[in-house]
Amino acid sequence: MNIRLILRDGLLAGIINVFIVLLGLTGLVGTMVIGWFELSSPEPGAWTLLLIVALWGGMTAVRHAECKAWGEALIAGLLAGASHGLILAVLTWGVSSLVNSGVDVRRWLVQLTPDAAQLLTLGRPPVAGAIVMFAALAAAGLVGGVWTHVSAHYKMRESLGSRWSETRTRFLAVPAVQNVTQSRYSLYVLYGIGLLLLFAAPLKLGQYWNYTLGTVGIYVILGLGLNIVVGLAGLLDLGYVAFFAIGAYTTALLTAPTPHGIMMDFWPVLPLGIAFAVVSGVVLGIPVLRMRGDYLAIVTLGFGEIIRILSKSDALTDFTGGPRGVRAVAGPSLFGINLNNEFYFMYFIILGIVLVIFITYRLQHSRAGRAWMAMREDEDVAEAMGIHTLKYKLLAFVIGAAFAGLGGVIFASRNKFTGPEDFTLLVSINVLCLVIIGGMGSIPGVVMGALVLKGLPEVLRELDDYRMLVFGTLLVVMMILRPEGLWPSTRRKMEFRAENEQTSERAGEQLELTGS
Amino acid sequence: MDRFVRPQRSFNLGRLVRPAIGVLVIAFLVWRLWIVFFVQQAYGPETWVRFAISGIILGGVYAVIALGYTLVYGILFMINFAHGDVMMLGAFTGYFTLEALNGIDLLNRSIAWSIISIAVAFIVGMLVAMVVAIALERIAYRPLRAAPRLVPLISAIGVSLFLENAAQLVFGPARHTFTNPEVMERNIGWILMVNDKKVLVTYTGVLTFVLSILLMIGLYVLVQRTKMGKAMRAVAEDKQIAALMGIDVDRVIANTFAISGVLAGAAGVMWGLHMGIIYHFVGFIPGIKAFTAAVMGGIGNIPGAMLGGLALGIMEAVAPAALGIPFQLKDVLAFSILVLVLIFRPTGLLGEVLAEKKM
Repeated sequence: MNIRLILRDGLLAGIINVFIVLLGLTGLVGTMVIGWFELSSPEPGAWTLLLIVALWGGMTAVRHAECKAWGEALIAGLLAGASHGLILAVLTWGVSSLVNSGVDVRRWLVQLTPDAAQLLTLGRPPVAGAIVMFAALAAAGLVGGVWTHVSAHYKMRESLGSRWSETRTRFLAVPAVQNVTQSRYSLYVLYGIGLLLLFAAPLKLGQYWNYTLGTVGIYVILGLGLNIVVGLAGLLDLGYVAFFAIGAYTTALLTAPTPHGIMMDFWPVLPLGIAFAVVSGVVLGIPVLRMRGDYLAIVTLGFGEIIRILSKSDALTDFTGGPRGVRAVAGPSLFGINLNNEFYFMYFIILGIVLVIFITYRLQHSRAGRAWMAMREDEDVAEAMGIHTLKYKLLAFVIGAAFAGLGGVIFASRNKFTGPEDFTLLVSINVLCLVIIGGMGSIPGVVMGALVLKGLPEVLRELDDYRMLVFGTLLVVMMILRPEGLWPSTRRKMEFRAENEQTSERAGEQLELTGS
Repeated sequence: MDRFVRPQRSFNLGRLVRPAIGVLVIAFLVWRLWIVFFVQQAYGPETWVRFAISGIILGGVYAVIALGYTLVYGILFMINFAHGDVMMLGAFTGYFTLEALNGIDLLNRSIAWSIISIAVAFIVGMLVAMVVAIALERIAYRPLRAAPRLVPLISAIGVSLFLENAAQLVFGPARHTFTNPEVMERNIGWILMVNDKKVLVTYTGVLTFVLSILLMIGLYVLVQRTKMGKAMRAVAEDKQIAALMGIDVDRVIANTFAISGVLAGAAGVMWGLHMGIIYHFVGFIPGIKAFTAAVMGGIGNIPGAMLGGLALGIMEAVAPAALGIPFQLKDVLAFSILVLVLIFRPTGLLGEVLAEKKM
């Protein structure tokens, strides 16, 4: 029974819980849960969160320490819970005594309102509250440890797994199910139904949903564009928002009455916006794409920031409209009918998405796609095989820029207003996140990523403050556990897993050589 | 065999790109300098001295941060995107320490206590930053050491996002102002007379600069003269052979991150003392600029990072006025310098010490 490991797990869970308190998640979860279960106060929700983390701490402690006997598991769980509880008890005592003595902790630690202190101590004085916290968390750790031991003892996880795979094989063996999965028409029927739903949907959704799903759709377009750059060609582009901005600003500046007064129609501006984005992609790409991955990332980041700063600067206000942006951007109209509302824009966006998916799919399965695959795996070998790496990198970059330009044009004319604050680094990071978390190089992955990462926050409005925090955590966690993304293309999955197997072999050799 | 030879174009347009960009840049610089110095003559010598002084101080801070970048890149061949955020955490720690000391009335009790307080702020800031950097390496970078190049980079971006937003949520989005001790307020210092005009050299500025130089010297001594430094240089050169020679590679990497954390923490406290305002995003732009400085000097090259930092600081302070560009576009200048350096001399001014690692 390894005491050091147990204490480490307890400490880790403790730090996580301290973090949760400092971030204000206890209060947030508490208030959210009130709505779901119609409770009267936030305490149950908040404490459940803390106890779950303590439970998890006990579970991992027992698992890592490999306890053989019941007694050992009990002690391990208790120890983990106790070390965890100690940290939280100190925090509870500290915060509540500070709050009670009138010090406004909120000046430094914003989330520690008097209500938060109340939550921690359950209305008791500091020392008593701390002791209660300690006892509760230690008990939770104990329970967690016991649970792991029980489940390992009775081999619960394996039996569940085998029962699941059994049911699955039996289901798939049923003849009726076989007919459906094997038939070549089933996929087409699925696509047909999907397309029908897609085209019928805007009619049923109200204005609000058309607007939000329209935004999600624009991010799908952006994501698919970045997918070509990052996912297919392997170029980490952190300044993708620059091309988005160029497409949007082109539309804005050419169709709005200020600052230039060139009141062009929407339809000629659409290809012009894309063209400008493409040209800027070429201009940026030629000097930049020779650089290595890390440098490319920073340089593209710089370029994105340059575009934003330039469009925001006062010096260039005559040209770009300055920090206040450009208003009264025109919308499209066909044969005199004004297509300027959410409903028609939704169709635009859907058409855009279908077009982009089609182009991506064809590119992926073409010579360019194979060249990108080769360059991703080893650039020097690809060059040696006769692939003109610069040309293909530029192609990826430019097509990505074109898609971003398309997105920008639709974005600007839909919002009828655009300004430098629409094109911050955050947009680039958002798009990057949804490509990476959804699945690099996989079209369904990116679409799903956009739906989840852009659509869910719309639904879970209360958690909006924590959105970027979750994204950052997700990026790290996914890179460690599942770098190919949530819905990967099989090719990418093989690439990432193969790398790991190869190097674990090498690591094994290294261990033998050093004799350790 | 002729089929496998790429046909030689008699006129390769691509080869013109670099000289063309170079000519444009030089023409632009000459034109702007002409306008500012001969046509407008807007600034007197005391203003230039003022710019130069603030540039040198800023350059010192950039150099310290750049050293952190260079150290990590030299060993792991990855850019630690989260380095700027470690600096931010160091700054916040310094802020809280000074606030706490002020709260128990120790900050201004006497000059000796003020000096001790500042020293304590630095030490605590450096320690916390060191712990954060080590934790970062353990959690986010160590599992990914064998992965393709893109993966640790993305993980670093994730860490950076996490730290920035966690700081925003825990400490609040508002700007915090450092409480300097009274003897070291941000607006007092020595007065120089240039051209019969007064130029202020603040105490905080002098402290920042002197400390930066001390840290640089300390790092140089560490890397060149100690056993740990030797181990670091060995691991930077070839990880596997170093392991064969009996060096504990994991420990050396952890130590490297620890040192880079200490440097970032010190830079953060310096930034807070001298610039005064800190917030959750304060590490972002200085981080990128310090990276520019590291690249300018040659990534992996320690004296290069120092020189690059100082050069970038001076350029950033002097160039907007010298070229007649509005000060708002200061950051654009730094990014343009990065792009130009990477186009024309990607190995940096002093040359890259380590060969490009093929992955």
